[in-house]
Amino acid sequence: MDLLPFLLTQSLNALSQAALLFFLGVGLTLIFGIMRIVNFAHGTFYMLGAFVGYSAVRFTGSFWVGLVLGPLVAGGIGVAFETGLLRRLYKRDESAFLMVTFGLTLVLGEVIRLVWGVEALQVPTPETFAGIVFLFDEPFPVYRLFLAAAGVVVAIAIWQFLERTRLGLLIRATSQNAEMVHALGVDVKLVRSAIFGIGCGLAALGGVLAAPLVTASLGMAANAIIDAFVIVIIGGMGSFLGSLLAAVLVAFVQVFGAYYFPDFALAAMYLLMLLVLVIRPGGLLGKEA
Amino acid sequence: MPLFALATAALVAAPLMLPMFAMTLLTEALILGLLAMSLDLMVGYTRLISFGHAAAYGLGAYTCGNLLLHTTLPLPFAVLAASLLTGVVAIGVAWVCTMAKGVSFSMLTLAFAQLLYAVAFKWTSVTGASDGLAGIPRRAGPFGITVFEGKTGFYYLVLACLLGSFLFCRALVNAPFGAVLRGIRENEAKTLSLGYNTRLYKIAVVALSFALGGLAGALYAPFAGFANTELLFWLFSGQVLIMVIVGGQGTLLGPILGAAFFMLLEHVLSAYTESWALVFGLIFIGFVMFVPQGIWGLVTRTRRARA
Repeated sequence: MDLLPFLLTQSLNALSQAALLFFLGVGLTLIFGIMRIVNFAHGTFYMLGAFVGYSAVRFTGSFWVGLVLGPLVAGGIGVAFETGLLRRLYKRDESAFLMVTFGLTLVLGEVIRLVWGVEALQVPTPETFAGIVFLFDEPFPVYRLFLAAAGVVVAIAIWQFLERTRLGLLIRATSQNAEMVHALGVDVKLVRSAIFGIGCGLAALGGVLAAPLVTASLGMAANAIIDAFVIVIIGGMGSFLGSLLAAVLVAFVQVFGAYYFPDFALAAMYLLMLLVLVIRPGGLLGKEA
Repeated sequence: MPLFALATAALVAAPLMLPMFAMTLLTEALILGLLAMSLDLMVGYTRLISFGHAAAYGLGAYTCGNLLLHTTLPLPFAVLAASLLTGVVAIGVAWVCTMAKGVSFSMLTLAFAQLLYAVAFKWTSVTGASDGLAGIPRRAGPFGITVFEGKTGFYYLVLACLLGSFLFCRALVNAPFGAVLRGIRENEAKTLSLGYNTRLYKIAVVALSFALGGLAGALYAPFAGFANTELLFWLFSGQVLIMVIVGGQGTLLGPILGAAFFMLLEHVLSAYTESWALVFGLIFIGFVMFVPQGIWGLVTRTRRARA
């Protein structure tokens, strides 16, 4: 294959991967920006999305129902968890959050195993995007093109949501100075619940979209949470643009790393992260050093 | 401490009273207790929340396994060498990780552990990749001592390591060194302004913690006869952290109890239900929410209330 077409198709491939990583990382970073907590259960919500997506396809025959249902279920559980447990912990140090969400990871993972079983479940690619197209005479799955496009659309949607809506304004304000927002008469608790739900929902959205590529399996959560952490750390905790930048960066390292250095592909992502942290301890666009 | 003497006496006498399978469980509990206690130096005394303590365990286990498989080093020396190597590697790790603070520190430790996990999967000649190292022997010696080959003798070796490490850690945290660690935990900026090079102290405590965690891993390899990538997995790091918190951070003895509690609970629950992780997760959440001082805190509070 010629070099240029190869680079272009692999770049498209990396962009579709970046979209999935972005869905995963952006929720985590938004939650951290507002609540100063690290949500260890984030990967499990991603996994939950994939399984809900599977059931939606199975019982309704429509992938798109799953795409709506997955984020709703995950968001609902997220809001319930935040109001039920996390809210009582705001006066404690950050390690308490890390550990309670780790506990949620165990519980939710086990519930998923009980409901859906241990087998990896194949989710069919939605028919509209099932085929392949030829780019530069090379076959390329349409679904990956769709993923890349979905990433762009969702990124723009979140950006507009943060910039143009009242809730988005409150979220940005709370991340800067929660006390002042509270003093101005806004119920900060509601903002926190909302952002936790939105973050979990975004993770599940990524899970539903990833399911046709990787199948829904119990191993998803572990890989996803590590990827999400890497994205958030590289991008800078709490930075929306940072998570977008990091997702693209990591996806390119993963895709091209797997091609050129197959033995070191797994390590490449962590090396990139260490490199970024040594140079900029707060992440690429993070505020805190 | 009459309670401590009593517990030690019970542990020494345990092989006379307990059946074989219970001894195996107890040995593993003591090894995990040593690992949890080593993490407590970082988490409980210095507020350095490590999410990568499996790295210490795995490093110790793989090093000791290789020494026992490929050299003629006697068992106690192999264990000691593995522990030392883990501590030395930790100096480098700590040097990088202490550039960050708080959550970033935790994430960096996680990244290092995962890097090691990734390496263990690829470096087949040393780690056996996904198969791991199998058939790790408990070699006799030194000086023709064969007692560590048997299960009971090995149990006493583990017990001796745990007791020695505990006494060392207790002396350490009661020494001026420990006071500086607590200073870092409560207010690092203040400790720094008092003239202590806090970063050096942090690197030192990570190295010590890793050396003891490596000791635990080095004991695990000949105990189980194998070492695999599971030992390096991030979920295991999380479990060790659970042991520390549930047992009671910053108490040294608490995390050992936490490890024993974890082992016992896993053993009992898995006999009744396949979903032991569900029950375990709920218990853990309950502890973080309602008993932040852990099992050890409950024990001492009851004793104080009685007195």
